[in-house]
Amino acid sequence: MKRLITFSALFVLAGLAAPRLILAAKVGQPALDFTGTGSNNQTYHLSDFHGKFVVLEWHNNGCPYTQKHYTSGNMQKLQKQWTAQGVVWFTIISSAPGKQGYIDANGENSYMAKMGAAPTAALLDPTGAIGHLYDAKTTPQMIIINPQGIIIYDGAIDNRPTDDVRDIAGATNYVNLALGQALAGKPVETAATRPYGCSVKYKGSWF
Amino acid sequence: MRYSRASLPFFSLLILVFTPLPSARASATSIPHGTVDLIAESQWIAPGNQTYIGLNFQLEKGWHIYWVNPGDSGQPPRVEWHIPAGLSAGELEWPAPRRLGTSTIVDFGYDNAVMLLVALRASSTFPANQAAQIGAELKVLVCREICIPGKAKVSLTLPIKSMPPEPDVRTSELFTAARESLPRHVPATWEFHVSSSKDSFLLTAKSGQRVTQATFFPLEESQVENSAPQKIVPMATGFQLTLRKSDQLLKPIKRLKGVLELAGNQTYLIDVVVGDTQVAK
Repeated sequence: MKRLITFSALFVLAGLAAPRLILAAKVGQPALDFTGTGSNNQTYHLSDFHGKFVVLEWHNNGCPYTQKHYTSGNMQKLQKQWTAQGVVWFTIISSAPGKQGYIDANGENSYMAKMGAAPTAALLDPTGAIGHLYDAKTTPQMIIINPQGIIIYDGAIDNRPTDDVRDIAGATNYVNLALGQALAGKPVETAATRPYGCSVKYKGSWF
Repeated sequence: MRYSRASLPFFSLLILVFTPLPSARASATSIPHGTVDLIAESQWIAPGNQTYIGLNFQLEKGWHIYWVNPGDSGQPPRVEWHIPAGLSAGELEWPAPRRLGTSTIVDFGYDNAVMLLVALRASSTFPANQAAQIGAELKVLVCREICIPGKAKVSLTLPIKSMPPEPDVRTSELFTAARESLPRHVPATWEFHVSSSKDSFLLTAKSGQRVTQATFFPLEESQVENSAPQKIVPMATGFQLTLRKSDQLLKPIKRLKGVLELAGNQTYLIDVVVGDTQVAK
């Protein structure tokens, strides 16, 4: 009986949240504009990057799945490889204060220096506004926006949903695949996948 | 410290004498915020026969592990078996999950305790009158607010005898409970139909009576939007359930498979062709 009550409570909560879900961004639809503050103290508007490819990477440095791609250097490599080709890369931290992965500007700057991270900027999103706008569910989760402002990829970083560094070699990297195809003027074959990892530690989340 | 030193061995002895220490459960191994052990339903296994073994997880309050489809985040436990040639382990049999998480991120898994069952078969030529060492290497993600990946090695020694296996009374309750928690086959008279529209699947069930409460847990990832409410319309002979399609679903699917939970924790495994009416299997 206890199980039923708990379950019903969840169901009610899910019902309340429905309207927000419908507004969230989707593959094939225009990317919704946002304003974010970088750990470098600069303000970024997504709309300022119209005409460029933009990658959004959801990040939580305490999450084992994020750590998989940073301790291996995989994420930094992607950041360097694609920003060198003119792609704009935002690392987005939607962890709320007190939650795993929450970090202030100084903390994030030292983390990025230590890890050799090279995004265009790391955006601090402690209210979860950007995360909810894009319905980001996990860290890492990757979204790619084309120069026309359309979302062309939303999902996992690769096809091995584990926290094991050894799974990076030989994995199909969906970000490379999508950006490679899109920059060559081809349609993105795999445009939506299930993102894997830790849940985004939003404000008010209790798990 | 109120106990004298001399009393400690006495208490230890009491524990030894009065606590049943089933050897099958003695191997409980730590995982993050819990334990896991490998237990057997029978006292031995016979050549040409099968028995069940179970990965028995106990978790601290508030921590959970995941179903075969973990939902929006997380990862199911993975097992690598180390068993002698001539023995084979079947697929993990997953109890019906619970819905865990928040309003926007919904996961499927288990809290408190869960046992994953596995059929263990012995070939008919497997030599009797010895003991087989059954080992499992486990990777498991244990989560509460945060997630901690863990690894564990568990093992079990099972005698091989050429007579029909006898149940192990020390584990029978756990196996009975684990079997009850598995989703059942649908009664032969029930009918299901799934139709597909742009944004949702409509699951229609005819079970012969009015149903007011139903939840569907998709077995496959990226078919159904996990966090979307599932709207039920009770009907005289069953119900209709609207399942919002996952944003990740860009191609049509042929079948919708999953666990259906009705009132009173009744759970059923369903596998329905999309766009067709059929008698459930």
